[in-house]
Amino acid sequence: MMLTDAIRAEGYRLLKNRTTVFWSVVFLPVMSLVLSTLGVLAARLNEKQLAEANINLNMPGGALDLGQTLLAVAADVANPAVLLFVLIGAATVYAGDYRWETWRLTSARNSRPALLLAKVVNVALLALAAIAVLVLSKVIGDAIKGVIMGRSLSFSLGDDAGRMLAVGGLGWARIVQFTLIGLLTAVVSRSLLAALFVPLVVGVAQAAAPMILAGMGVTPGGWVSMLVSPAQAFDLLKSDLAGEIVPLVALTPAVTSFVLWLILPLAGALAWFSRQDLSKE
Amino acid sequence: MTTVIETHGLTKTYGAVRALDGLSLNIPRGGVYGVLGPNGAGKSTLFRILLGLIRPTEGEARVLDGAVGDVRATRRMGSMIETPRFPPFMTARQVLVWLSVAHGSRDDAHIDRWLDRVGLKEAADRKVRGFSVGMLQRLGVAAALMTRPELVILDEPTSGMDPMGIQEMRALIRSLADDDGVTVVLASHQLAEVQRICDRVAILDRGRLAAEGKVSELTAASERLRLSLSPMAPALDLLGPRGTIEGEAILAAIPRAEGPGLIRDLVGRGVAIDEARWVGADLETVFMTQTQQSEAGQ
Repeated sequence: MMLTDAIRAEGYRLLKNRTTVFWSVVFLPVMSLVLSTLGVLAARLNEKQLAEANINLNMPGGALDLGQTLLAVAADVANPAVLLFVLIGAATVYAGDYRWETWRLTSARNSRPALLLAKVVNVALLALAAIAVLVLSKVIGDAIKGVIMGRSLSFSLGDDAGRMLAVGGLGWARIVQFTLIGLLTAVVSRSLLAALFVPLVVGVAQAAAPMILAGMGVTPGGWVSMLVSPAQAFDLLKSDLAGEIVPLVALTPAVTSFVLWLILPLAGALAWFSRQDLSKE
Repeated sequence: MTTVIETHGLTKTYGAVRALDGLSLNIPRGGVYGVLGPNGAGKSTLFRILLGLIRPTEGEARVLDGAVGDVRATRRMGSMIETPRFPPFMTARQVLVWLSVAHGSRDDAHIDRWLDRVGLKEAADRKVRGFSVGMLQRLGVAAALMTRPELVILDEPTSGMDPMGIQEMRALIRSLADDDGVTVVLASHQLAEVQRICDRVAILDRGRLAAEGKVSELTAASERLRLSLSPMAPALDLLGPRGTIEGEAILAAIPRAEGPGLIRDLVGRGVAIDEARWVGADLETVFMTQTQQSEAGQ
């Protein structure tokens, strides 16, 4: 009950923070929709000149399958741009109470674990909303493209729909996992900027780690490499879910790494927060 | 006498600084209770411990029969520590809805009533980023009171308010105690205000309890009988160290019961008394005396 109250309260406040919702959920899809539409429009208007210049727009005829667009976007939701823009919202949610000095208002009304878990749940919902709007914008973008290019539209999900949606679900978990570094940073540092920049630095380091470790003689895809880099674990698990052949021996460290990077930052933040002095914010 | 707050040997240290030093205090249920003390006396530290924001270094404290930090107890409390801050993008009404939901309330009907009661009805839909300190203070009080708490802790509730606001706040606090049966514990530097609205006070100094009791008892102990008389010498002989000269009068530090006897003795010794009246029955005198005594005892 207390967790439900905390989730509702955090969600209510997040929805009132329009700037954060705009940057996390709306900006990227709208920009990508506007840019792709302008690009298609420019191509259509300059079709003749482009053809004369032998520039192939790679737009084969036939119907544009919006179902396939939907699945393709869903399978690639945990891309760096989405991670960055969701992180903006996550950092505000996680560090907001330190910035606005409002912990003293909420901590007397609800339990500390519930208040922190409510933030995680709301960031997870924020990520889901960002994914949904992004997918929708891509589908709308393709529909507009079809209209401008004079192509018919179709919608089929095909046999791989379940598989691709599972990949999308994994991508959502990866976004949440990435923002949890922001949670731990916010609780320890009490700083919004730290909650924003530390995950970015950690993310870059994690992406580069397998290559650096390989240079040091550490087996790529092995336990050490995988545990250091949840990004690598995510890629491997994504390939497996997408139906690619992944050696079974690599799956165990990948699953372990992925789960550990979900649990450890959250557990660390909860442990630190439960004893934190909330009078100085 | 049932208590709402009990502390035993409560100590809080910040490095070498002892903000609270073995404080033992029982605050009874009902009425308005003032916690006084100079800056650094430990008032805010005490409140922060009671609200579960910080942990004591030693000792224990119980609030509403629960351990400090137990959310089942803190949910039955309302509080405002220093000037409250709120998310700047929210309106006053949204702030109260947000806190009400966090508290587990499913009913928003009381929110407009509280906005009206603290004088923020007109500003209910304005974003708090434009609020003055006094308006933030009013919103903080509404946030503290809207969940109908049994115990309210207010740290400097009238800070930043205009005279009208101070008067309204004073009336609100008194009505909470008298009409709603809420126990109000407040800290304030405005001693005249505390004397006017508090039933009991505790005076803290350097993290210790310097004095505690009913306001009427504490002030009675500091009363002096001011005698305008002539000649002064017989009166000073009779009073000894209990008599001091103040201008053209003598201040006699005696209990009220001894007043008539003293006047009879003086008249019997041929002293002409122009005026005799009790003075100095204010909390400021008590406060200064107690904190100076505490300083001298160091």
